[in-house]
Amino acid sequence: MIETALKALFILLYATFVGFMFMGIIRIVTARIHRRVGPPIYQPILDTIKLLSKKSNITHGLIYDFGILYAVGATVLAVMFIPLGNVGVLRAYGDLILITFLLEIPMLGIMFAAMSSGNPWAGIGAQRALLTLLAIQVPLGFAIVALAEYYGTFSTYQIVMAQQTMGWSIAHLPLLLAAIAYDLVLQAMFGKEPFDIMIAPGEISLGPMVEFGGKHMGLLNIQHAIALFAETLFFSNIFLGGGVVTAFASPILNTIASLGVLLVKQVAVLLVATFMAAIFPRFTIDQAAKFYWKWPTIIAALGAILASL
Amino acid sequence: MNELALIVFAPLVAGALAWLLDVKGIKEAIGLIGAAVPLAYTAMLYERASEGISFAVNLGVFDITFRLGQLNWFFVGIAVLVGFSAVLALVSTAKDSYEWLFALMSLSGVLGVFLAADLMTFFIFWEVMTFASFMMVLHYNRSASLKYFLLSVAGAYAMLIAITFIYAKVGSFDFGAVQTVFAQDAYAKMLGGQATFSSTELMALFGLFLVAFGVKAGMFPLHVWAPDAYSETNQSYTSMFSGVLSKAGVYGFILMYILIGTRLAVEFGAFRSASKFGYIIAFLGGLTIIVGGLLAALQEDIRKLFAYSSISQVGYILVGIGVGTALSMQAALFHALSHALFKGLFFLIVATIVHRTGKTTFADMGGLAEKMPFTFAMAFVAILSLAGIPPLVGFASKWVLFEAVISQNLPILGGMVFFGSAIGFVYLIRFTYAVWFGQRPTDLDDTKDAPLPLAIAMTILALFNVVLGIAPGLVAKELNKMFGKEIIGGNLFVLDLGFGKYNALAILIYLIAGLIVAAVIYFLGAKVRRVPVTDTYQSGNPVTMDYNLTIRRNFFLPLKEALAFWLRISFDRLYRDIGAWVEDLAEVLRNYIYNGNVQSYAWYLLIILLILAMWGV
Repeated sequence: MIETALKALFILLYATFVGFMFMGIIRIVTARIHRRVGPPIYQPILDTIKLLSKKSNITHGLIYDFGILYAVGATVLAVMFIPLGNVGVLRAYGDLILITFLLEIPMLGIMFAAMSSGNPWAGIGAQRALLTLLAIQVPLGFAIVALAEYYGTFSTYQIVMAQQTMGWSIAHLPLLLAAIAYDLVLQAMFGKEPFDIMIAPGEISLGPMVEFGGKHMGLLNIQHAIALFAETLFFSNIFLGGGVVTAFASPILNTIASLGVLLVKQVAVLLVATFMAAIFPRFTIDQAAKFYWKWPTIIAALGAILASL
Repeated sequence: MNELALIVFAPLVAGALAWLLDVKGIKEAIGLIGAAVPLAYTAMLYERASEGISFAVNLGVFDITFRLGQLNWFFVGIAVLVGFSAVLALVSTAKDSYEWLFALMSLSGVLGVFLAADLMTFFIFWEVMTFASFMMVLHYNRSASLKYFLLSVAGAYAMLIAITFIYAKVGSFDFGAVQTVFAQDAYAKMLGGQATFSSTELMALFGLFLVAFGVKAGMFPLHVWAPDAYSETNQSYTSMFSGVLSKAGVYGFILMYILIGTRLAVEFGAFRSASKFGYIIAFLGGLTIIVGGLLAALQEDIRKLFAYSSISQVGYILVGIGVGTALSMQAALFHALSHALFKGLFFLIVATIVHRTGKTTFADMGGLAEKMPFTFAMAFVAILSLAGIPPLVGFASKWVLFEAVISQNLPILGGMVFFGSAIGFVYLIRFTYAVWFGQRPTDLDDTKDAPLPLAIAMTILALFNVVLGIAPGLVAKELNKMFGKEIIGGNLFVLDLGFGKYNALAILIYLIAGLIVAAVIYFLGAKVRRVPVTDTYQSGNPVTMDYNLTIRRNFFLPLKEALAFWLRISFDRLYRDIGAWVEDLAEVLRNYIYNGNVQSYAWYLLIILLILAMWGV
């Protein structure tokens, strides 16, 4: 009981810290692509501390507060189910479909909070976010279907273990196709260009985030960090072989090594997304829908059909 | 008197009494008793359902027979629970005793359908149910009711033809006898022998049943009656109409599997791991999910949105039934239960909104969450359940269904159900935004919260949504009993399918833990100051209540534009065109044949005589 609680706490702290580092990495890498120096890597942590310590906060009602709490809570929930090397708390229940759903539901909280503010920009942002969600769901669904059919199990942990013997998922053609589609979907899940339509700074004043300030925004920063960590972790687990290191005799060294391996894979996923984001301009929402319903869907559906043969 | 007869006829008798007496206060009480009696008896018969109870009365020409088994008990349980809540809600919203009569009559009809033990009883109660629900719609809107009636009649007579056809060959209406004949046929066919029904006849039977049950379930492309009929009637009644009456179609499909399923599977072979005929049902179900969901997102009327959403959700059940493995059947039954629970709740919420505001379009609403906090809390439960947010019952059933479909290596169906889950999310947020949040029109300022009977009805359904969501094992146990073996394993809180596990309790615990962590950070910060809705960012401009800040019309315009090509294809229009064409044909026939010219009637006589002469009479 206490051991589980400690593990959960460790996962939470680790995910938050690494997530913030990821946010810093994105900013540095983007800056370097633009030939700027950029902020230090811990800048997002400073931003969050500043936001949390604001003296004046506003609220538009109960749901405005609760939506934010729900978003953070649901993200924490999601990260618990994803196997983190050999640390996972609930990895026995880390079902593919469950995690896919859990990674989406924090958005529900953000939407609820944003919409309860009654701001028209938030309304537009919610509309765009929902249409993006709808657009990515088709290739995402096919990618998940391809994975489940290839491995014959829905357990993320068993998929990680299977990759230990069979090689990484992306080494098999059907799953490579699924991984390509999923990577394109990740761009929208991270909220990065060319699919950052829901936030769209400069176009719709941050959309759903427009009314948040102070501690609400600080909490959303934390949520974003954990979500970033969870999404990259999930991708690394299902497509890049996860992190199971058994080379050392000591379990602690094994754990540290597998976290390190996972971290490298996660950063790789993150860098691909950042590179894409730095060189592509934003799509409009109908372009995004048409794009996702065309190429990624075809690729992922092909992968799913090949996997089921 | 037998308990089964009491269950079936109590609502009918109560409805008739309420209609005859028509005294305020008394008719409500009688109606409630009429719905409570089946509920109580169904609960009492829970233990005895496994041994099977039957009831028969001879009407001279044929018998009316009822039988209660595990499967029937499950469906009857759904019907009496949602039916009772709907009837409770009718106390607040019924306009007159006419509604009591027909609402209760349709409850009787649907209970009879679920308990029928032979095809004739099934058909009779099917017609009672259709007629009563037609009368409910007719009370509000004539054209919507006629559309519903015409399609229902087409479905019912397709079923009647199929039934007479089976009777002609089998010589009995009894389910057991029919099942035996078809099972023997299946064996005969497998061993290369002679079968009673040829493959063309079988295909015709399948087609007829597909139309018959497809209409009731709202299967694409026979769904067009549902948006009008569900919206143009008392919304309290719709919670039964959509929650229970659409399950009659689902039950029909399951019955088709029981009666002629083996024979169909043997005759038409398999497509991958599903049978071919099942795949047709599943594929149509998948299209139903997508079409219903997309159209729900584009509606501007709160009732229409939920009508299409109801169609979309039934699509899931059809997919589960179509795939046809024991697990997917269980998933379909599970989703049938959760659909009845959350959709019943949703229509009660709609009933409350319509009852309190008198408005139905999104353009007239907004900001109601502050005025109706209780109803909003109920809506919150319903939204989480329908959108498939763990740990509510909507997620548990959807999860089982997803795994059941995908584990059978059916990738296209898998993609379809995935799309359905996202579109569910999309239209619900639109409902949430336009009705509950944002700026409130000034004429809604004195809106009150739900009246007591509606509030109790909503609470009943919401409790079931939560409890069965946290303890999905309760439902799984019931379903396993129905199939006689453990297909969904696990315990009270865990569903275990072998290749996937779902732990609802862990989700609840960690969600609460996550919320606590977030709350601690939140409460460590400085205090918050409440600001009005007009104190907001509008590109740095001042805002007053004269501005409309909430997007209430055409919320999903980009979606509409992206789908412009597909939206031009409308089955509703196709049926209207066919209808207009038939009317024209009738007009033409009237003009040419009954043309008022005596000489032409003389010519008809001559032609008939010539024909008779040619026959050599």
